[in-house]
Amino acid sequence: MTAAATAIPTDAEPTQLDVRDVEQFLYREARFADEHRYDDWEALWTQDGLYWVPANDDDADRMAKMSIIHDNRSRIATRIRQFQTGRRHSQVPHSRLRRVVSNVEILGNAENGDLEVGANFVLVESRERSNELWAGRYTYRLRVVDGAIAMSYKKVALVDNARAIATLSFLI
Amino acid sequence: MYIRPDIVGNEFAEVSLTIDEEANSRRLRLEDLKTGKVRYLDALELETLVWLPEGNLAKLLDPSADRWREEDA
Amino acid sequence: MTLTDIPTSSSGARGPAAPYDELIEAQRVHGSLYTSPAIFADELEQIWYRTWVYVGHVSEIAEPNDYVRKNIGPQDVIMTRSADGEVHLLLNRCAHRGNLVCEADAGNSSSFRCPYHGWTYRNTGDMLGYPFHGGYGGRGKLDLGLGRVPRVGIYQGFVFGSFAPDGPTLEEHLGEAKGEIDRLVRLSPEGEVEITAGFLKHKARANWKLLAENETDGYHPQFVHASIFSVAQSGIGALYGEKSTAVTRALGNGHSENDLRPEFRRIGAPLGWFGTTEEKVPEYSAAMRARYGDAAEEILIEGAPHVMIFPNLFIAEIQMFTIQPLAANLTVQHVTAVQFKGAPEMNKRMLQQCIGSVGPAGMLLADDTEMYERNQAGVAELRPEWLDVRRGVHREEIDERGLTVGGATDETGMRGFWKHYKHLMTEGRAQ
Repeated sequence: MTAAATAIPTDAEPTQLDVRDVEQFLYREARFADEHRYDDWEALWTQDGLYWVPANDDDADRMAKMSIIHDNRSRIATRIRQFQTGRRHSQVPHSRLRRVVSNVEILGNAENGDLEVGANFVLVESRERSNELWAGRYTYRLRVVDGAIAMSYKKVALVDNARAIATLSFLI
Repeated sequence: MYIRPDIVGNEFAEVSLTIDEEANSRRLRLEDLKTGKVRYLDALELETLVWLPEGNLAKLLDPSADRWREEDA
Repeated sequence: MTLTDIPTSSSGARGPAAPYDELIEAQRVHGSLYTSPAIFADELEQIWYRTWVYVGHVSEIAEPNDYVRKNIGPQDVIMTRSADGEVHLLLNRCAHRGNLVCEADAGNSSSFRCPYHGWTYRNTGDMLGYPFHGGYGGRGKLDLGLGRVPRVGIYQGFVFGSFAPDGPTLEEHLGEAKGEIDRLVRLSPEGEVEITAGFLKHKARANWKLLAENETDGYHPQFVHASIFSVAQSGIGALYGEKSTAVTRALGNGHSENDLRPEFRRIGAPLGWFGTTEEKVPEYSAAMRARYGDAAEEILIEGAPHVMIFPNLFIAEIQMFTIQPLAANLTVQHVTAVQFKGAPEMNKRMLQQCIGSVGPAGMLLADDTEMYERNQAGVAELRPEWLDVRRGVHREEIDERGLTVGGATDETGMRGFWKHYKHLMTEGRAQ
């Protein structure tokens, strides 16, 4: 969904944030994911969080079509707990990761008032199998919870999401 | 007088045109409202119609070309 | 020109690429079977371009003139439904200069027009025409068309293709595996499955046989999937435990299954196989009981099959995988959620559960694929040369259908796979 600046939030004022603060949040989120700091990363989510990596079509119907990742808040927690068992074999050892997040753009407010933010990313993953280059577009929805920025939505539109891709078991 | 926006009609024929989304890509759905007969046209077929010379289209309009042939009578 | 000449290369009656009789023993197989490019090329000819291979499902081309791009190994196959309703498997190659005639993954068109010089074909593969026909002496002068997969077979809506112009029929090839497909479709209140959710495509840098063998390996789940079983409090692990009453069955012709019905019958709960209850899907349960009457109870208790159909179709209860070999060390897994016609309530649940499990980020399949890739690296080591497939050989039995049955964690399915593979690559080779 793109900026719906005209939408009236039902229960809160539309979130307004300075772009510098937004960038700092995105870079921190990226660093926690790159460094497999699972608890810190999970703490960035709101209680109604949705983590979505579509397949085949960036705007696919996520209730009717296959997605690469389609995690509600409960499944985000399950994914994190699975990493923390130490037996998530596709992340033992962890992939070495670094990503660049750029083209950060405030898009407007979503229907529920959350601030919608777009950004591009490039990520190199290194593991024994190979190095993989991942790239795409992030769409976040942000709101302030207890004085801190939190994310309620993170969508990752991979440039190659319609093609055969390698195992993607880290936090993209 | 209200005229349905999907209908092309005159005193000789009346055909409804709608975009159909049920197939793996869009098609034009044509319905002869006088008989209920339906045909779909895909993009390549439509482009072909656009390029059909007047003479060839006129030949198709001959009532005995395809529709009212004696062997069908 | 015979159409079957197209894929099977020019080598014709080339001999075996390796001494398969020596490389495949009853209880062990040689590592080179997974690494040799020459053996891979031989497999393409003797297996993938000959036997029945699953291609797609009729629900993917529901309307006249629908098409989807599919594959048989490295071959790019267009599955079409012509205006008369017939299903065709065409090769994506213009008869003029070899260009791809179809670029989109799916669409609706009565014909395909090559972008290079405008040659145009019906979706039956027949040539319609070419521009500036004077250069060929007029219209209709060329006896050319799109290549066809010569045999198309459909069972319960599942479309298979065979590049061999003759040989066993599809039903003969499926044999005892037919009953497993029947078991899947009867879980629809309308008796049909639909493949409508699109596919994830997951790349594995591994030989296709490592995937095929793993599909009904009941020994690995407790190890490879322990992480998700523990955090999700899943009962799946116990189905593949030492005390499980489930069995592994070789179904013949290389097919195999993990038959979990003994466990589901023991538990005796309708929809227990799916981890839910009838109360949670009341519309589906009512529709099933309306259609099947008293038989619905057993159908809902026994659940969906877990069957590997040689060489490339794996139905894992609610998930459907196809295996696409691209090189000795490269395979793509295509995976989607099974959807039951007339069961929207179940379909939503099956889709979301499937997404959590499979594909590149799946909480199950990412770890399976990690194992395939580590396995591929390992089998390249020179010693001890062999892979062991003897587990449970001493406790196998022959059941009332004459099929070999082992315990839940036994390698009975793998041995059945290799028996059929060896037959196709040796005395059963194409002449």
